[in-house]
Amino acid sequence: MSDAGGMPRVRPREDRVPWARRVRATIANQQFVLFVVLVALLVFFGSQNSRFFTTAEFTNLIIDFCGLILLAVAETYVIISGGIDLSVGSTVAISGVVGAFAMETLASHHVGEVAILLVGTVVCAGIGGAVGVLNAVLITKANLVPFVATLVTLSAGAGMALVFSRGADVGSNPAAISWSATGAWIFTWESMIVIAITIVLSLVLHFTAYGRYNFAIGSNAFAARVAGIDVRRHVASVYVVAGVLAGLTGMFFYIRLGAGAPTSGIGDELNAIAAVVIGGVSLVGGVGVMTGTILGAMILTVVTDGLIFINIQPTWNQVVVGAIIALAVVLQSLRPGRQGASA
Amino acid sequence: MTEQGPVLELDGISASYGSVQALDDVSLVAHAGEVIGLVGDNGAGKSTLIKIISGVQSPDSGRVVVDGEERHWRSPHDAMQAGIETLYQDSSLAPHLSIGSNIFLGREIRRGGLLGRLGFLDQRSMERKALEELENVGVTVPLSRRTVSQLSGGQRQAVAIGRAVLWSQHVIVLDEPTNHLGARQSQEVLHVIRRARERGLCVIFVSHTLPHVIEVTDRIVVLRLGRVVRDAPTSQYTVESLLATITGLVAAPGS
Repeated sequence: MSDAGGMPRVRPREDRVPWARRVRATIANQQFVLFVVLVALLVFFGSQNSRFFTTAEFTNLIIDFCGLILLAVAETYVIISGGIDLSVGSTVAISGVVGAFAMETLASHHVGEVAILLVGTVVCAGIGGAVGVLNAVLITKANLVPFVATLVTLSAGAGMALVFSRGADVGSNPAAISWSATGAWIFTWESMIVIAITIVLSLVLHFTAYGRYNFAIGSNAFAARVAGIDVRRHVASVYVVAGVLAGLTGMFFYIRLGAGAPTSGIGDELNAIAAVVIGGVSLVGGVGVMTGTILGAMILTVVTDGLIFINIQPTWNQVVVGAIIALAVVLQSLRPGRQGASA
Repeated sequence: MTEQGPVLELDGISASYGSVQALDDVSLVAHAGEVIGLVGDNGAGKSTLIKIISGVQSPDSGRVVVDGEERHWRSPHDAMQAGIETLYQDSSLAPHLSIGSNIFLGREIRRGGLLGRLGFLDQRSMERKALEELENVGVTVPLSRRTVSQLSGGQRQAVAIGRAVLWSQHVIVLDEPTNHLGARQSQEVLHVIRRARERGLCVIFVSHTLPHVIEVTDRIVVLRLGRVVRDAPTSQYTVESLLATITGLVAAPGS
């Protein structure tokens, strides 16, 4: 608040109850609380099992995080714009399967491994983008609500992934698997790419006109429209971006498996939405911070992996995730900003 | 203001929704530095007329002339670029964005150099300029970093009008700007309208609050069932006569 100097009127009121306010402000700073929770979880799992704090395990944690974060980033954009995308999980499956077919074809023509992976990435992103275009058309042209439109593509995408693959993994690419194990320290190469994309999209959301319009549309689409923003075009673009990110996640899973599995990503849209909600993004749109989503995804990943380390059956995973979501939402309702808005 | 001609001219505007004739041959001439009251009962066609002026809707027939040039809006953006700003009854602000972000919504200041070309915004300049410019048009607000949802109803309206005054080159259309506001907040809004007139803008003030209309306008146009039934200087109206014209009833003698 460095440029607050010119308007002293508002200050005294905020200083009147500094202690209580500071406590509330700290609790209200969801980023801080999430960070504390994340550290606490890491310390807890580390104290329970010494193998948790190893380079190998952290490499795995980051890989699992990367399998989720692009979907969560997609969901952050979509939800802040006032929509929702249920189809990202299915899009991972369909793009991975189609991408795998393309890469199999290239491999049978003895194309080099690097070229295969590059083309595969483009195909996966393209299929994801195509699903995104379909969502965009259903929402902005056919005027379906996003929930229904993406429910359509969720179902169709998952079904098509099964039909095309006949229910089995497509292809076998051991070179991809061995490449996926290389990298530097706890970061594999593919993780680094995913993290780079995440950073770029975080900056775009918070510091560019495109990101600003995303918030404005989610906050008040009418105001955005009369301010001269092409709301339809922006909304359409957000779903295409979400589709491309899901497609890239399809490629990410292909590299890990060395094959395109029709089950990859199925149901992951809910984990992505969970990460976003834990991160403090409002489901009605207009509010959210990308660092919240990132912390939310990290917490989910650490919990999912950590439960295995303390010998709790993975079936408990969903219950714990549910509890964390509930906790995060209660925390959000304590925000002083909310109450100030209604006063 | 070099030109003497009207800044906005509506000529024979008609519009209908299906079988309902919302506007029937409406004409209106507005000059710079003039505050025009636009009044009428519900269904008189005020909203449709506002939509046509602000580019939300196209008329079925008739001409819209701004600053001597005939215009055909395809979107509100076209009207904005021609210098017409509209403040809608349902707020034109995004509640979750800061005051500064709202003032510059759709007209963001970008950073210099490569980052600017990539779409990166100069948030600091926007917040600073927003406060300065709002003060210039007579609106005082707390920190511009606050979100609009943290403001009172009156402050929100003041910011919204300030935004319209700030960006308008010719005409501001205000749809019920004093609705739901207390007496003092309404006075602040009327004050900003007077400031807009001093800046040489034409203000079209749409309201049901007739005392406010009489207090601030130079001329009042009364719509009834899609037609202009009276267009006269404000001095020729009283609240009673205005009400009678709006409803189509003659005021009872001696009342």
